Amino acid sequence: MSRAADTLQTHAEVAKLAQLLDHEPAKLEFLERLSLEDVRSLRERITEALFDAQDASLRRLAVASKLLPPAVSASIGERAFGPLLSARLAGLLEPSKAVDMAGRMQPPFLADVAVALDPRRARDVISRIPADQIAAITHELVAREEYVTMGRFVGYLSDGTILAALEQMDDKALVQVAFVLEDKSTVSELVGLLPKSRLAGIVRAAADNDLWVQALDLLGHTTERQRKEIVAATAELDHAALEALVSAVIQYDLWQEVLAIAEQDATLQRKLAERVRSLPAPRRRELAAEAAAAGSIKRLGVLGEALAGRRSKAGSRASSGP
Amino acid sequence: MSDKQVEKAFAELCSQLGGAAPEGLRELDAAQLRLLTAAIADARHRQAEALAVAGDRALGHIPRLLRGPIRRVVR
Repeated sequence: MSRAADTLQTHAEVAKLAQLLDHEPAKLEFLERLSLEDVRSLRERITEALFDAQDASLRRLAVASKLLPPAVSASIGERAFGPLLSARLAGLLEPSKAVDMAGRMQPPFLADVAVALDPRRARDVISRIPADQIAAITHELVAREEYVTMGRFVGYLSDGTILAALEQMDDKALVQVAFVLEDKSTVSELVGLLPKSRLAGIVRAAADNDLWVQALDLLGHTTERQRKEIVAATAELDHAALEALVSAVIQYDLWQEVLAIAEQDATLQRKLAERVRSLPAPRRRELAAEAAAAGSIKRLGVLGEALAGRRSKAGSRASSGP
Repeated sequence: MSDKQVEKAFAELCSQLGGAAPEGLRELDAAQLRLLTAAIADARHRQAEALAVAGDRALGHIPRLLRGPIRRVVR
């Protein structure tokens, strides 16, 4: 992962933690200098502490709910308990009853519950919620730009349900949800579920919304075949988009991540080759070694030559131009 | 700020968490650790209050016949 991706992931983790504590993220900014692993581990421990704090009372409520018909329980959940307590209770209820209750609740309320829910504690409930309801909740979460919440749930949904959720996500949301997935090994599975017609949207969404750090991180977690398909599906990027991509590579040091895309695009190779010469020599040698080890240096054309410290005719022309 | 103060603040955080905090948090200063501990305590307090209020409010939505048995289970 690039340093920029690491920084953004830690920022997203602190946002999750602030959400959990119902605290202003700005006041917890000091946590961003910790490692991603430490912030994530802290969030998990706080989750445990909060869920365990009223465990006995919540368990008694869960037992009491067995005496009530689901319609009454759902009404109490929505009107009396609110989203926070409903989220705490969800994992303590009989899963079939919890799903029945959820089916009687409105998507905006369920979206509020999703924000406060610890999916690990309600996995049996989440996995039984029908696809159309997941789609309605996702629609709500996308409208609220709750990417972090969606990212926490993906690992607990079946393929069919994920497909229903993906249909509700535009490409911008998809790139941002993939970026905050807790288990990055699921990125390639997620991309594998996308219809081919949507692959082009990933790079386009990055270009249109300045999401190159997130998109390059996503591409870095796909299989080589998927990466090729995504780049091949992308219509040629216009001048402005290419300039934005090159700027993001320089600003966030995304050289390693961009090489996979550059293999497919001669214009991008040329633009990056112009900039690679200004990199410190050790960094350039490091990238060249990585590209050589991956067997991609020859496929990088003039960029490969620039990385290797050779000055190509095209490169000379570019550097001597106005 | 002394190491002793950081150690004390770290121990208070562990106590609030009900177990060990990630070791990396020792990089924070005592004031930051105390702020974090207070934020967790506040969240727990708010959750307990919400639970108490919700319990009373919920009874209003339960059919009268069932209120007695529900009270017995919950208390």
